[in-house]
Amino acid sequence: MIPYLLFATFFGLLLLGIHRKLIARIQRRPGPPIWQEILHALKFSFKSTWIPATASEVLFVSVVLIAIGIWTAAFFVLITGGSLLIIFAIYMLHKIVEHGFGLSSGSPYGKFGGVRSVISAASEIPLFVSVSAVAIFTGSLQISDIIAYQAEAGPLLFTIPLAAVALYLVILSKFPSSPFAIVESKEIVSGYKTEHFGVWRAGLEICNGLKSYVLLLTFTMVFIGSLPFLGILLTMLLLVASIAFVCALCPMLSPFDSVTIQTIITGIMLIYVMYLGVFG
Amino acid sequence: MIGAGGSPFMYLEFGDIVIYFSPYTLSLFLLALVFTVLVIASRPERQLDIAFGADAYTTKEISLPEMRFRRFMAIACGLASMGAMVTGDVFDFCLFTSLVGICNVGIVAAVRSRHVQNAAYQYGLVALAGTVPLFGGAAIVAATTGTLSLIELSKTVLPAAPAVAKGFLVLGVMGEGMAPFYAAKAEMFRAPGAPYVIMCSLSSLLIFLRVIEVVLQM
Repeated sequence: MIPYLLFATFFGLLLLGIHRKLIARIQRRPGPPIWQEILHALKFSFKSTWIPATASEVLFVSVVLIAIGIWTAAFFVLITGGSLLIIFAIYMLHKIVEHGFGLSSGSPYGKFGGVRSVISAASEIPLFVSVSAVAIFTGSLQISDIIAYQAEAGPLLFTIPLAAVALYLVILSKFPSSPFAIVESKEIVSGYKTEHFGVWRAGLEICNGLKSYVLLLTFTMVFIGSLPFLGILLTMLLLVASIAFVCALCPMLSPFDSVTIQTIITGIMLIYVMYLGVFG
Repeated sequence: MIGAGGSPFMYLEFGDIVIYFSPYTLSLFLLALVFTVLVIASRPERQLDIAFGADAYTTKEISLPEMRFRRFMAIACGLASMGAMVTGDVFDFCLFTSLVGICNVGIVAAVRSRHVQNAAYQYGLVALAGTVPLFGGAAIVAATTGTLSLIELSKTVLPAAPAVAKGFLVLGVMGEGMAPFYAAKAEMFRAPGAPYVIMCSLSSLLIFLRVIEVVLQM
């Protein structure tokens, strides 16, 4: 399990690097090498580390460990075929991590990131819609049952495509440079992670790598089903490529527009699930 | 749907009130516990405010009496959240949820900022209104099924709780600070003093996550 966890972290970081490279190439820039995010994680591990004088010290440090802890838990739930509801819970609780990062330092930029994280709460509802649609069709929220259902009835991607779109949008909203990435947009420096440097930032990079891997693997398992290991990695790569296209071609939205669009998407998805519940 | 959050592996009985731990409820409980411990152990941040148009900034210091009061409310909020995460009784869940709403207002009540006080007042009104569908939902569950025990409700021998009761429970919890009723909560976040203000957000998220399991159980 531990070697697989390490692989997941580094592969997640590699995917984030590929994401950056693809965005750059689509925008006709050379872009960084694809292993740039791995280098970032290693570089920050050995840089000088401090805690700002205005910070809540215990929270400032603990939130890094909590971030890594919750995504490690999500990873183990996923590979042991546990409840999709726990993955959903961990995804939502990642918001608390963003709050913790943003608010613990006393920095106004971090604070803005934290407040934006609160107002973008609508982005989580499509995930709930996706989970509900899966539950309606498969009658279970255990990932092992969902995979077994797809082995018999075919991938859920073709049965409930809008639910897959909902989860895709959720993953998109968590990727860097996404139109919905208002919590870390450049006008507030780096948003919630502005003040976390050195080893704390390395911890955050590790969390981001693991989070990307877990979210992409969740999509693959829940909407495509059981695949050989290389097939899973290839699917994740294709997902990242499609996300990179969206990120490269869509500007980052203003907080108001981001929340408005996410709320509209949420409304459409809720109607879809109600339709599935009645006629599905 | 029985065991939506995994099968329960431990029961604690207090008379007819049963607390149960499943992988899902235990995960949520542990997170509430971790943040409550952080609230106890942490000193609050000192928020920096930039003076726009000038090369200056100010630091917001939190006085000791204010810190004590807010810490007390944040701990109470953490305890109420923990109770809501593991309770096996719909009425107790509603009670803990209401308590979370009260504590959330209390956490920012001592902050001397007009914006924060206004936001807390507006949030308090929405949370107060949210308790009507919340307890209404519990009442409908009791009236239609004859029990409020989630363990009994998850058994298929009882009539299923009506969809309107589930909808009321979710609506009540959304009133405690979830989208689309969270606008005031974002303003409350302007209050200095993490980790106390984080409890406002954490408790709402946890309760929303738990109510999903509660309605799936019924």
